[in-house]
Amino acid sequence: MLFVLPTLVIFGVFKFLPIAGAGAMSFTRYSLNGDFSWLGTDNYSRLFDDEHFWQSLGVTVSYVLLFVPLIIVVSLVGALLLNKVVRFSGTFRAVLFLPYLSSFVMAGIVWSWIFASDGPLNAALGGLGLGTVPFLSGDQLLVLASLALVAVWKGFGYSMLVFLAGLKAQPAEVHEAARLDGAGTWQAFRYVTLPLLKPVLFFVLVIETITGFQVFDTVYVMTGGGPNLASHSLIYFLYDEAFKFLDFGYASAVGMVLFAIVLVLSLVQRRLVEGKESK
Amino acid sequence: MTTTTATPGVRSPRRTRRRGWLPTVALLVISLFTVAPLLAVLVLALSPENAPTLPHAIPDSLTLDNITSIFAVGEFPLWLFNSFVYSAVSVVIILLTASMAAYALVRKRFPGRNALLWAIVATLMVPMQATLIPTFILVARIHGTNTLWGLIMPTLANAQAVFLIRQFIRDLPDELFDAARIDGAGEWRTFARIVLPLIRPVLATLAIFVFLWHWNDLLWPMIVGQTDHARTLTVGLATLHTETVSTAGIMSAAFVSFLPCLVIFIVLQRHIVAGITSSGVKG
Repeated sequence: MLFVLPTLVIFGVFKFLPIAGAGAMSFTRYSLNGDFSWLGTDNYSRLFDDEHFWQSLGVTVSYVLLFVPLIIVVSLVGALLLNKVVRFSGTFRAVLFLPYLSSFVMAGIVWSWIFASDGPLNAALGGLGLGTVPFLSGDQLLVLASLALVAVWKGFGYSMLVFLAGLKAQPAEVHEAARLDGAGTWQAFRYVTLPLLKPVLFFVLVIETITGFQVFDTVYVMTGGGPNLASHSLIYFLYDEAFKFLDFGYASAVGMVLFAIVLVLSLVQRRLVEGKESK
Repeated sequence: MTTTTATPGVRSPRRTRRRGWLPTVALLVISLFTVAPLLAVLVLALSPENAPTLPHAIPDSLTLDNITSIFAVGEFPLWLFNSFVYSAVSVVIILLTASMAAYALVRKRFPGRNALLWAIVATLMVPMQATLIPTFILVARIHGTNTLWGLIMPTLANAQAVFLIRQFIRDLPDELFDAARIDGAGEWRTFARIVLPLIRPVLATLAIFVFLWHWNDLLWPMIVGQTDHARTLTVGLATLHTETVSTAGIMSAAFVSFLPCLVIFIVLQRHIVAGITSSGVKG
């Protein structure tokens, strides 16, 4: 019993208590000195009437829709290539994984420089006669796509390794059989590799969707939520409400919305994985 | 397994060989995408002041001046120190408490065991941002803001660590523990002499990931450490970026922040790959 005691205390105080607190606080008006008054569901009705909330949710969903397909494609292509190439595969794997070691803050700083109006990307585009592209100050789609690209650069190494493990686990005989049946590269991928990869694909899909919904660091470093709230994501909204306007109860309600989104995604994944795995 | 592809007669050897180059070329292109920004950081950090540099020119000489002078900027050395304490202390305490709990959860029967395990695993579904505010208020109420212990304590509840170590201990053979008991080893001896050495692979993997997560963390350290001296390096980096620091300065700071992660990766690469591929570790 002595063995679980430290964990029990740490989890009790810093995990279970805040989780209960988060739920409870979302029904109150709460100030930092501990004063609070019960509001019932007022925070939630206010939230659902708040156009800034819907704006942030819209930004976040758009971002997820840009980020998730992009990171899945890049990491899957990376894994398929790594699985094919024999020479220097260890070196390639390490090189593709490198950005994962950086922080979103560092990634944001480097890519702010790359995306700058006088940065290398615009210099290259100018050289091609394409003019200057306002990556971080243009319209919403462009800004969110730029932010998504940074997150793909930083994060795809992880999903790539998960995919690679999935590919290595596929029985070689099946691929052999497909080739003997005359399947081309694309057919083999479409009808053999991809179906076998489905559970892994689903895992990565859910994990990266959750990551996408939590986007904050790059927004904070690169755009500050702008221009004109074009990149004002859900967590940025939560952060502002809590630490700029000190409206802790209201911000907790935003946290509960994020929790609900993540919970649904986790439960869907759990259901699908449990159906497929024996362990 | 990819080497045994050529079935004689089906395709001419020449064509197979040419196709074999395509993936390598494609990998080189993606590698350029991942490495170029990192190289840019390095070159910009090492470019002499006022010398023509990226993106317009490649500097003809490199210097460490920017990196040494970034250490003179404000509280930079303190940020570095805070980051090391935050990451290293967390690694040690998380690994120790999580392995102790995992050992008890596998080998001991006590009331509420399953409920506790279930409760710990369930917290994995609660995103950190959802509990950010109550955690902050809790830490503020016990006067932990702008202190290292206030920064570290709440992050010690790491469900992933407990869960992964538990999976690992569960797969150890029963005979091992029976033998220890017959030899008269007590719980602590069994834990320290048998369990800990055997679970070293999973501990190494977790150590790397916990270090990376903490070292690169922004939101929590930013909220707890609001004064200049209480920042971690990642928070300091974000601050430097919004203040007017030269490109060389910010890239030097970024490079310094990246270096420990790079060293850890080079030394312990296989553990990272093993960690991701076997268990799906994600912060």
